Amino acid sequence: MRKPGQLVGRGVIPSADKGKALPSVKAEMSVAQSLVEMRNITMTFPGVTALDDVSFESRPGEVHAVVGENGAGKSTLMKILAGVYQPDRGEILLGGQPVRISSPHEAQRLGISIIYQELNLLPDLTVAENVFLGREPRRALGLIDDRTLEDGAREVLNRLGVDIDPRMRLGRLSVAQQQMVEIAKALSLNAQIVIMDEPSASLGGRDLERLFDVIAALKKNNVAVIYISHRLAEVFQVADRVTVFKDGKVVGTQAVSDIDRPSLVRMMIGRTLSETFPPRGKRVGEEILRVEGLCCGEKLTAVSLTVHRGEIVGIAGLVGSGRTELAQAIFGARRTDGGVVRIKGRKVSIESPRHGLQHKLGFLTEDRNLEGLVMGLSVRENAALPSLKGRQRFGFVDRKAEDKVVGGMAESLRIRAPSLSQEVEYLSGGTRQKVVLAKWLISGPELLIFDEPTRGIDVGAKAEIWQLMRDLADQGKAILMISSELPEIVGISDRILVMHRGSMVGELPSEAATEEKVMMLATYGESHGE
Amino acid sequence: MVSDGLRLSRFRSRWQRLWSEHRELVTIYAILGVLILIGMIALPAFRSPRNLFNVLRQAVALGLVSMGQTLAVLVGGIDLSVGSTISLIGVYTTGLMAQYASPGAVVLIVVAMIAIALIIGLANAFVITRLHVAPFIATMGVGAIIQGFVLLYAKRPGGAIAPGWDFFAEGMIGPVPFPVVFLLLLVALAFFFLRKTVAGRHVAATGGSEVIARLSGIQTRRVTAYAFMISAFTAALTGLYLTSRMGAGDPLMGGLNYDRYDLDSVTAVLLGGTRLGGGKGGVVGTLAGVLLVSLLNNLFNLAGINPYIQWIIKGLIVVSAVAIYAIRKQGEAT
Repeated sequence: MRKPGQLVGRGVIPSADKGKALPSVKAEMSVAQSLVEMRNITMTFPGVTALDDVSFESRPGEVHAVVGENGAGKSTLMKILAGVYQPDRGEILLGGQPVRISSPHEAQRLGISIIYQELNLLPDLTVAENVFLGREPRRALGLIDDRTLEDGAREVLNRLGVDIDPRMRLGRLSVAQQQMVEIAKALSLNAQIVIMDEPSASLGGRDLERLFDVIAALKKNNVAVIYISHRLAEVFQVADRVTVFKDGKVVGTQAVSDIDRPSLVRMMIGRTLSETFPPRGKRVGEEILRVEGLCCGEKLTAVSLTVHRGEIVGIAGLVGSGRTELAQAIFGARRTDGGVVRIKGRKVSIESPRHGLQHKLGFLTEDRNLEGLVMGLSVRENAALPSLKGRQRFGFVDRKAEDKVVGGMAESLRIRAPSLSQEVEYLSGGTRQKVVLAKWLISGPELLIFDEPTRGIDVGAKAEIWQLMRDLADQGKAILMISSELPEIVGISDRILVMHRGSMVGELPSEAATEEKVMMLATYGESHGE
Repeated sequence: MVSDGLRLSRFRSRWQRLWSEHRELVTIYAILGVLILIGMIALPAFRSPRNLFNVLRQAVALGLVSMGQTLAVLVGGIDLSVGSTISLIGVYTTGLMAQYASPGAVVLIVVAMIAIALIIGLANAFVITRLHVAPFIATMGVGAIIQGFVLLYAKRPGGAIAPGWDFFAEGMIGPVPFPVVFLLLLVALAFFFLRKTVAGRHVAATGGSEVIARLSGIQTRRVTAYAFMISAFTAALTGLYLTSRMGAGDPLMGGLNYDRYDLDSVTAVLLGGTRLGGGKGGVVGTLAGVLLVSLLNNLFNLAGINPYIQWIIKGLIVVSAVAIYAIRKQGEAT
């Protein structure tokens, strides 16, 4: 099913030869036919341009796939279409008429429905109440018509071919079932435009097939489907056209029949950033960490890996592939239900972050603002936080000792803050990351786990962080790095491990690794020749 | 033909369903039953009809305000201005009734009091949804403002009630006290509102997740306003009821002095299984919470326990009730 040659579903989906129409004809049709058109959309968040002059259109009876790396702007564009965000510039045409989509409510009214990436359901309500939340069938006096509510939910669930009791409390369903309810909710609007933002993230096997059947049925009913996915196999399976986003811009739009897998991957990653990575280290020493068959519910399935002294091991994978969960499990911040963790060959059980610290592990989390730093505290206080214990005298913090240790660390990490008393909320992203690093280094770890070490940091500071990581490795630390940024993974890892849906699906030595290969593994879960 | 075995298993499965869906409710009513039993057996003074009616009268005062508090908690907030609202309504009502006592005037006074309450609720909602102040602080601040108005108007107990106004608290319908009927009607009304009306369901949805509710097209600000207006409205009912019971007004009748309706109503709501933070719960549980709090107050008094120790015990109950739910929720999450 995943082999590119047999790709896929073309026979299943009714209008299979639609994509084979002549390009010139199609271009004309698109002008006449587009159901929704977004023109020159620009959207900025504080400090980030999420979308830069993006245009996008979608036609009735067509599945338009949207792909791109994390943070490329796909979800932002869709949230604009769904009325969640208002763009700074640009216009939206619906059936040729300019419209303003001021709220999610307005989007629904205009016949636009969206399945969000994260579940938007309330666990304490019933399935039926969730499906019709905000649009409950009413009788006089604002009373809810429960009969119609349940029948309507049952009808749309049947259309999806799933057997879920609409009176069931949502919280009792599995995640996959909840995902189907989320889809049912979008379908129940009978919208002309259905946006699916990674609907397949938690679906597998039969549920995925049902989803594809539903998409085929929507197409037949002339609905415009916009399908965001990381999994390229699905794009080739269901989509008619595909648009590639990168760094808030559209790279291009292609008919799926006109493009093959490698060229799509190339469109997704082909970047021209001149990024300077530090030279690779040479000395790989003893084994620090060995993980064997680690399991954690549905998140991790028998994951094994090793990290050695002096080595940077990169973990690649899509969001939701279990990378962060793996790091949390190793560090003791997530309960596991199977597997062995060894530190320097000795079997250990790490059940809390405190244990992790005791075993000389450090974890720089993805969201350093929330989990890594206390915003209102100073550089000194933040950096000394986990290691306060050694610097107490009769229960009081020994400020002098603190100053000495943190000051030395700030110097060696080149932390650029006006003073150690500076509160961290006024520092740049790169400097904050260094403070987090200082905090962990003071506790004297042997293995450091970096989760997205350079997210939200500007390019210059990135290079500095990378250099620091390399220096640490050269000084004999073992480093495990999780990253969504392919250049970073390929650029500084000595070894690259790729995860897909909770499993380790491949290992690439740095000499053999290319962004393409990593992306292939991450999106398909297996490599294809090459 | 239905065999006994089948009937039994059906009964059992219904019971299991009741247990799994309404665990809190079953538990609290069971505790209530046990407590009544203990009172009946251990304290002869407890089972005198006079005392039982007394418990019920106390329960009505707390019950009315707790109905609205349930909605404030359910929508994801908390209303700590109910105590001062009760005092305000109490002193204004008795102040006005001392001068205007005709039936027509009484109707006008009641309408005016309810209007004032709705404005207070609206003010709470405004501070919460527009000024983005956390409900705890917002309602505490609004409560302080109201208490200021109360003390500007009346510094000591006083005022009077119109003839016949005492029916609210003292009247009987057959063998049943009128206020008990009134409270049960209000519970039924609130139950119906939450279960059967669109607005009511949106209260729980907004409390469950304001973001999800908003993304589903619910106007969450309006829903929050409904909840806090209803909360202030039922606080006004308690204020009116207390004037009828006491025959006078008191600037501290809603708080500080003897009954702290802020704390007690929140205690009743949380004991009744409504989740702090919103999204889950209801008035049937709150009714049990109200009876439990009133019963405890009564038993403590009969047993001659120092009122300050009662405060300590009540505080412990609130904290443990919330802690038990929090711990259980954590257990579900992992």
